[in-house]
Amino acid sequence: MAEKTLDCLGEACPVPLVKAQKELEKMQKGDVLIVNIDHSCAMKNIPDWAREAGHNVEIDEVGEGEWDIVIEKC
Amino acid sequence: MSEEKINANKQKVDYWKILFKNEWSYVTGAVVIVVLATALVIVTGKSWGVTGILHLWGGKFLELIGVNADTWSIYNGALGKFNFWKSIPSITNVGIVLGALLSALLAASFKIKKIKSYKQVIAAILGGILMGVGARMAMGCNIGALFSGLSSFSLHGWVFFLFIFIGAMVESSMLKKWFM
Repeated sequence: MAEKTLDCLGEACPVPLVKAQKELEKMQKGDVLIVNIDHSCAMKNIPDWAREAGHNVEIDEVGEGEWDIVIEKC
Repeated sequence: MSEEKINANKQKVDYWKILFKNEWSYVTGAVVIVVLATALVIVTGKSWGVTGILHLWGGKFLELIGVNADTWSIYNGALGKFNFWKSIPSITNVGIVLGALLSALLAASFKIKKIKSYKQVIAAILGGILMGVGARMAMGCNIGALFSGLSSFSLHGWVFFLFIFIGAMVESSMLKKWFM
């Protein structure tokens, strides 16, 4: 199972969401994508989209105003 | 810690998390905005706007650097009469910035972000200019023209809604094509 990290620090909506969607499309079932974000809107729209698409999602707060969104492709 | 105590702690409602840390739902946000915007109309007699006042700010800035803009036909003496602290849209605009800062600080998520690339800078400047010019040409932004327009049952709000949607679609395809 592959794991990939996508650095979206410093990027605003809708860039992190579009990048995450593009990246996940290339991945296999069971692979894990970690998206680093520091834009609070992305903390809502990325998990919203990923859960709707049926993937497993977890959000980690890694620092002040910085989050990792962990998406497992299902 | 005893097991009972752990359970008691689990039961405790974390008000800080509910109020400040977690995002409010869209419905909560909408209700709060409606209550505040209605209060603004009741107290000041004017509907909420953001960009309408910016041309006066721009004129004041020009005066600051020595341009005598007050004689221009767009201002026609309006700059001389402008008083920042008595201008309600100016105060509410400052409030938006301070409120955003406060909310980030209360959520412990304040962060100064780094600039990632020159492309991002160009996109931000270009976006700012397009939005600013657009808001002046349309006589309002998504607050003054859309939000206040819709809530006062004005047709112009719906026309604005249609075109801001088209504009956002064009803008996001530009963003995808050139800036990502």
